[in-house]
Amino acid sequence: MTDMTPISPADRHYLDVWGVAKSFKGTRVMSGMNFRVDRGELVSLLGPSGCGKTTLLRIIAGLMEADDGSVVLGGRDITRQPAHRRNISVVFQSYALFPHLTVAENVAFGLRARGTAKSATAAPVAEALRLVRMSDFADRPIAALSGGQQQRVAVARALVVGPDLLLLDEPFSALDRKLRETMQVELKSLLRDRGITAIFVTHDQEEAMGVSDRIAVMNAGRIEQFADPSTLYARPASPFVMDFVGLSTRLAARVTARDGDLLSLETALGPVRAPGDLAPGSAALLAVRPELVALGQGENTLSVTLEDVMVLGSKTMLHGRAPEGDRILCELPGIRTGLARGETVSLGWAVADTLVYGVDP
Amino acid sequence: MTARVDRIALLAVPGLAYLAVVYALPLLLLLAKSVRTPDGLSLAEYGAFFADDYNMGVLARTLRVAALTTLLALLIAYPTAFAMARARGPWLTVFLVAMVLPMSLGVVVKAFAWSILFRANGFLNTALQGLGIITEPMRMLFTETALVVGAANVFLPFMVLPIYAVVRQMDSRLPEAAASLGASPWFRFFHVTLPLTLPGVVAGSAFTFSMAISMYVIPSLIVGERQQTLSMLIARSFLYLRNEPLGSTISAVLLAIAILVVVSSSVLARRLGARQ
Repeated sequence: MTDMTPISPADRHYLDVWGVAKSFKGTRVMSGMNFRVDRGELVSLLGPSGCGKTTLLRIIAGLMEADDGSVVLGGRDITRQPAHRRNISVVFQSYALFPHLTVAENVAFGLRARGTAKSATAAPVAEALRLVRMSDFADRPIAALSGGQQQRVAVARALVVGPDLLLLDEPFSALDRKLRETMQVELKSLLRDRGITAIFVTHDQEEAMGVSDRIAVMNAGRIEQFADPSTLYARPASPFVMDFVGLSTRLAARVTARDGDLLSLETALGPVRAPGDLAPGSAALLAVRPELVALGQGENTLSVTLEDVMVLGSKTMLHGRAPEGDRILCELPGIRTGLARGETVSLGWAVADTLVYGVDP
Repeated sequence: MTARVDRIALLAVPGLAYLAVVYALPLLLLLAKSVRTPDGLSLAEYGAFFADDYNMGVLARTLRVAALTTLLALLIAYPTAFAMARARGPWLTVFLVAMVLPMSLGVVVKAFAWSILFRANGFLNTALQGLGIITEPMRMLFTETALVVGAANVFLPFMVLPIYAVVRQMDSRLPEAAASLGASPWFRFFHVTLPLTLPGVVAGSAFTFSMAISMYVIPSLIVGERQQTLSMLIARSFLYLRNEPLGSTISAVLLAIAILVVVSSSVLARRLGARQ
């Protein structure tokens, strides 16, 4: 399964990665990779470690050469261009600030590398530092900065050269949770204001959903789905995407009957109806997002014994008893008391909210 | 408040005691000989040493050979250290063994091996003549060039290992970050790689230089008596001339140079390190 959105050849894309393949020591990690980004878009490459997201990022940046395929940016074929001629800035996970230079010298580096006279770098460097609120730190050595400050400097250093594309490799992973969320909001509005096209690489689905217009979910060197966050969450194209993005109830099922687009399925806990186009008799995987499940009767209703009731503050999560490999989750808003482990309750949800995937026998 | 001695610091006592008895004490006795004359304490020996053109020539040769040896070792060691830092698994072992094994061979064995290589009817001359590049055998043994080449070979590990240690610690993302910021390979080298590896270069050069100014066996075997170095002059003063004040004086000069090199290089290394 690849990109679900049909793309006509007439569409002009800002970044066009086409047919890219890469092997390491004879092992194919990526082949026939197509990936397109529009101007001004903030896109995430989301996936578990080893899915190829960093490889794709490095190929786009020119830090790694593709075995096959092409990379076109703004109409210019950069496939064979070395990294330093691409005008693509990278913010690394470790920030990779130069330890022998001060904050201001780090930010000036890209300008100096392009032959700008030292005196002419002062104004743009000051502006870039102001943008990331690091003006007071201009003359500090890098070692004297905290993680969040280092990240700001890395962003200023990447932006000051006016890149055609900004790549960010797990830029928030070294920050603690609270700071991470602040930085995400800050960075997102900074990039939006300046109309920068950016690609984030991340394994954190919340981060990807928070910062991007579209997310490419990667698995084993392929893009499983490339869509906006809400589509990705509400209509995951594959069980992998469904599992990787958010939590779900998941039940093994078998199709018993089909009436147009409506399937009747049998699960270990009872019958369920769902929209889909599988043949009767075929094996299926059923999924529902936990916040779409409520206590009481619904279009689909299962009687479930509670295994655990987790009060999480803003929500309460019910875990139902399910056969091996299955999972039943119900998320209720706010703090709910009066529900106890071992109690049997009815859980209901709408037919339209039920996701069905065919399973190879 | 009573002054308390850090008990861990006491672990240094055996080492310090050993150095005091085996290194500092004899050295002091030696230095004392250089300023003790029948007429009391005097710097006359130093005045005589520095006034002598022959001695000055030896001093200049010693410094020149040491500097050229350091430079040659650095030129060979710097790229080698990067290759080593890049090497993985068995290749790294090959590199490290290749570095360490020759050290255990002993200078005498190596020097005789070189003489087979460099002598008039040796391998190099025969090969060059065979290729028609030269017609007459070239004089290679007993030249300063042979000395520098040989000495650089002996001291190479002491140049490679400190640089290797620094290169291995360097974040490989830094040159990549520089490239993504538009820096050409040359700009990356001179503004990122070189400044970051300079502490290793300074340490390796200090090691090599201080060993090269005091080398004795290598010049004795390669160039012989005709082109003396300070160490050979010291040995001759003590062993043949029986002139202990002269030998002690040259020893003091040599020691002063070595101390100057070690101190200034560690100051330099600290300053480079402080920026990082």
